[in-house]
Amino acid sequence: MSLKDIIAPFSVWKRVFEKPYTNKKPIDTRPGAPRYRGFHVNDLDTCIGCGTCEEICQNVAIDMVPVRETRHGDSGLRPKMDYGRCCWCALCVDICPSGSLGMSNEYLWVDGDPEVFRFIPGHDEKSWNDSELGYRRAEGYDLLEGSRVPMPMLSVEESQKSFVEMVQGYSKEQAKAEADRCIACGICVATCPAHMQVPEYIKAIRDDDMVEGLRIVYQANPLPASCGRVCSHACEYVCAMKHKGEAISIRWLKRYIVDQIYLGEYSKILHECEPDNGKKVAIIGSGPGGLSAAYYLRLLGYAVTIYDANEKAGGMLRYGIPEYRLPYDQVEKDIEFIASLGVEFRQNARIGVDVDFLDIYGHNDAVFFSTGLSDPFGLDIAGEDLPGVVSGLDLLADVTHGKTPDIGSSVVVVGGGNVAMDAARTSRRYGAEVTILYRRREADMPADSEEIHEARGEGCEIVVQAIPLRIEKGTDTRLMLYWGKAEMVSDGPGKRPRPVLIEGSEEVIACDTVIPAIGQAADLTFLPQDIASRLVGKRGYVEVDEFHRTPVAKIYAGGDIANPKRDAISAIANGHSAAKGIDIYLGNFQD
Amino acid sequence: MATERQERTIQEVKDSDPVCDGQAGLKFVHVGADQAVAYITRLRDVQGYTHLVFFTAIDYIEDSIFRLTYMVHNYASRQDLGVQVDIPRQGATMESIHHLWPHAATYQRELKEMFGIDFPGSPGVDDSFILEGWTGIPPMRREFDTKLYSEQTYFPRPGRVTHDTAAYMKEKLYPSEAETW
Repeated sequence: MSLKDIIAPFSVWKRVFEKPYTNKKPIDTRPGAPRYRGFHVNDLDTCIGCGTCEEICQNVAIDMVPVRETRHGDSGLRPKMDYGRCCWCALCVDICPSGSLGMSNEYLWVDGDPEVFRFIPGHDEKSWNDSELGYRRAEGYDLLEGSRVPMPMLSVEESQKSFVEMVQGYSKEQAKAEADRCIACGICVATCPAHMQVPEYIKAIRDDDMVEGLRIVYQANPLPASCGRVCSHACEYVCAMKHKGEAISIRWLKRYIVDQIYLGEYSKILHECEPDNGKKVAIIGSGPGGLSAAYYLRLLGYAVTIYDANEKAGGMLRYGIPEYRLPYDQVEKDIEFIASLGVEFRQNARIGVDVDFLDIYGHNDAVFFSTGLSDPFGLDIAGEDLPGVVSGLDLLADVTHGKTPDIGSSVVVVGGGNVAMDAARTSRRYGAEVTILYRRREADMPADSEEIHEARGEGCEIVVQAIPLRIEKGTDTRLMLYWGKAEMVSDGPGKRPRPVLIEGSEEVIACDTVIPAIGQAADLTFLPQDIASRLVGKRGYVEVDEFHRTPVAKIYAGGDIANPKRDAISAIANGHSAAKGIDIYLGNFQD
Repeated sequence: MATERQERTIQEVKDSDPVCDGQAGLKFVHVGADQAVAYITRLRDVQGYTHLVFFTAIDYIEDSIFRLTYMVHNYASRQDLGVQVDIPRQGATMESIHHLWPHAATYQRELKEMFGIDFPGSPGVDDSFILEGWTGIPPMRREFDTKLYSEQTYFPRPGRVTHDTAAYMKEKLYPSEAETW
């Protein structure tokens, strides 16, 4: 050992009074770079709790935990980080569809308790919560595809010439590319009235497994060829990808699956019915509600008979929706499979006229009725009984029956819902000039925005804030429709503004036909008076519980008469719930 | 060494001025694997790109290639240039450039460990870089399942609970079995 080795430990003490080379803490803390990937921030109002951050995290560092109230389009869950595992790769930030997740440039956090390093960004009080600096997904850098694969469609110039289906359907490549956009978060499932397992059937498309896709679809929807075309697609309004651009084309992906499989193949793929259990259920109305109940009851082994007033089954799917949106052969594909299971259809059977309700009630173990809204509202103005005034529903039904409607060369449609758009576009196809009058603003129209867009594209003129006043006989044309302009009057915050006629304003349209399409009511006159009076509750709806049981024993109801959503998919969901309710009621239910 | 075609390529790249990741002036040129080292040598010795900034790879598993990127810098023109070279993933091997820049050997050792790309003749290329005792497939290769490795290697912290979005929303919004069965 040298002398230096002995002295060295003491010689370092002379440096005690020198300026240190290291940074002082905390006085000289260096801020992180402006785009430093530091501690997470999350805008809780923008976050929808889709869980994509958790899904992509390769370190399993993220849990989804309840923070907010759950509502449609927002699970209420928010990401909770485990900084014992996070590697600050920022994949969670890069993938976040809503763009709520980011990283501050804060990077110093010292604590003796390891548990505090699990935290909910944006929820737990942190000094960096409002940090503007730090890493955010760069503009133009996208791991997700925000744009839909465009759907091949007939041009509006072409489409208005015929009743050929406008939407032509995806090819395999297009469907797979569209399916690839889905992040499988499942937020849509709660909003679909039938709670279809959307991410699962989209996965089947990615896997090119149509057989599995059809099985998944039929678990909650026995009318997929129809729904794949005309569903009101509430799912798409809450799709997480909507925050990134356009929603996944869920409805048309479902259609893609169904279009790939011939009806003849269905029986090899789908469930077989259970053996007959000896019990009988009657269904009144062969619309989506009745067909759905029939399908699920038949699967459970019930003998099912459907009574329907029309010549053919399908209800509004067939008689209320024009062929360019929903071709009849697609409605038939859905119905024929249900019929092939042994469901008996009695068409042209009007209850109360051809068949007695009490007879059906007495001879069956349960009755489900889903008779829809068949009674169009009148305009309640002078002249509406003149020849040339025909309701939208009657016009559409006539066309389905193969009649050429007598509409002349100019038509005015009154209303802003889908029936109004269907009536207007159908009239265009018979060569008429079409004007649509609606009493509120275009933004208030209940019709789907694409329907409005296509109606206009096909040459229908849309006049908003217009209130019909009276109809008179015309000279050159069959009719004269007088209408007044409306102004929108506020009814207080949160309420829809009300149209009020501007006194003295009066316009006139010379036309051959006026088509009121302002809604419709239920026609329950087929029911005996004492039963009807016990069924109908507030606002004219039939009162039902969660299993769609009415206050009258053995009677179940669903569809538009019992459901304010008033669309096909809700009716399908009602039929499904009622089938389960009936099964429980009749004591056959096995969980 | 470099051909006329390659010189023109550089000129074209400068004129078309592609921009990567928000950094203006960052340019890339694509070169075949058989000519890459000759090309980079010319960049260093004739065109003033004397500094190797970094050397890395990206796994394009869909195309069955690794894309090598040599980032070089010209101090006189203050210009960065990325030289991209695609090599097959299967039996991935590339000519070494340690004779051009000695520190390239360190990058090549890293690429061997992380991607399994071999650089025959590169000093110490088979030595461990940071993954001492690693026996699995090179972890930067895309077929390496990071999540699975993470689940198998590290214990979950006690008390962690997560929720599936769809299942949680069912519980909150439509718990009745009448809605689904």
